[in-house]
Amino acid sequence: MAAASTFMASTSKPLLSNPHHPPRSLLTTPKTIPAPFRSLIKSISISPRTLVLGAASLVASPLPALASEIEKAALFDFNLTLPAIAIEFLLLMIALDKIYFTPLGKFMDSRDAAIRAQLGEVKDTSEEVKQLEEQAAAVMKAARAEITAALNKMKKETTAELEVKLVEGRKKVERELAEALENLEKQKEDTIKALDSQIAALSNEIVKKVLPQL
Amino acid sequence: MNVIPCSIKTLKGLYDISGVEVGQHLYWQIGALQIHAQVLITSWVVIAILLGSVIIAVRNPQTIPSGGQNFFEYVLEFIRDLSKAQIGEEYGPWVPFIGTMFLFIFVSNWSGALLPWKIIQLPHGELAAPTNDINTTVALALPTSVAYFYAGLTKKGLGYFKKYIQPTPILLPINILEDFTKPLSLSFRLFGNILADELVVVVLVSLVPSLVPIPVMFLGLFTSGIQALIFATLAAAYIGESMEGHH
Repeated sequence: MAAASTFMASTSKPLLSNPHHPPRSLLTTPKTIPAPFRSLIKSISISPRTLVLGAASLVASPLPALASEIEKAALFDFNLTLPAIAIEFLLLMIALDKIYFTPLGKFMDSRDAAIRAQLGEVKDTSEEVKQLEEQAAAVMKAARAEITAALNKMKKETTAELEVKLVEGRKKVERELAEALENLEKQKEDTIKALDSQIAALSNEIVKKVLPQL
Repeated sequence: MNVIPCSIKTLKGLYDISGVEVGQHLYWQIGALQIHAQVLITSWVVIAILLGSVIIAVRNPQTIPSGGQNFFEYVLEFIRDLSKAQIGEEYGPWVPFIGTMFLFIFVSNWSGALLPWKIIQLPHGELAAPTNDINTTVALALPTSVAYFYAGLTKKGLGYFKKYIQPTPILLPINILEDFTKPLSLSFRLFGNILADELVVVVLVSLVPSLVPIPVMFLGLFTSGIQALIFATLAAAYIGESMEGHH
């Protein structure tokens, strides 16, 4: 994709023209390579040169420059890159193990263990919680019973007190009523007595007035 | 020779398309030996990305993970699951090997697809995913061979070599051949897939510069991930295979 971006950016430029780097053949460049290595590379690397040359010979003369410009692809040339990458890989493995796999793995394991332990504790304490709940229920029950008892007692006491007061009040009222009735009776008698005497006087007067003095 | 006029044009087209610099390398000379500089440079970048992100994310682990730590814990879980599924209960010591294998290949492959390497012009050759060089893939496949031999030998001693005549001694040549085909198939599978993927994208882009290559690019990302997974899984499977008991 990276290739794509640059290619998109520079489609006007012919792709193989390589203005920056003149093409050179693989087999000619490593001049310092000793003969045995050179033969080894030659034997390993698949060279499309023959193929390209064949194609070029088909179209004959007009394209010799092109044919020479197409560089042979050294897809399979093994060299120091292999051990270098292998060593890099091993070093990377050691480094990643030291800073990533082992520490983070240990951290995750210890966290898992801690969480599991906490979960176990929670399971254990659930018994305790149950007992405590029962205790609480018992305490509540007792308290409720106490409260009801106290309430009942208080109710009884107040009713008794009220009854006493009621009886007292009733007696007082009755007494007062009796007194009032007595008073009334007395007044009635007094009035009747007074009326009796007045009747005698009035009858005398009527007699006097009706009957002229004889 | 009446085909020449058209064939020049065709060849010019082919020539433009083959502007992909396949198998061309920037050479560094170290003593008498040569090294593919572009592979080395990109592998350094990949290693720097890996180490840098890991150091930033895991430097100070929190009990309640967030962000980068979360991601890397997920990756570690993933690698552990993968190793456990292939190797079995004794997977612990192999997690760094399998994990590094997976991460290195995965980041390498994706770097080839996502990082704009081609912006940096080299005097010769071009920067690309490190895994599109056969040296890299062989350098990853050979330690895998060593690893499964080591695993088998430490687990079973010399009895490990009994597996070559099992189930019957007739299979001895095939069993021996297997030790060669395993790293060969591992390295060539990865190399071929990544190289082909980059080639397809480049060729398509040079033919149709817009829109059409995009699905292929996504396919390339997918393939890259799958290849990393396959390599790591197979490495783990080989190790597990050489550790499991033969009856």
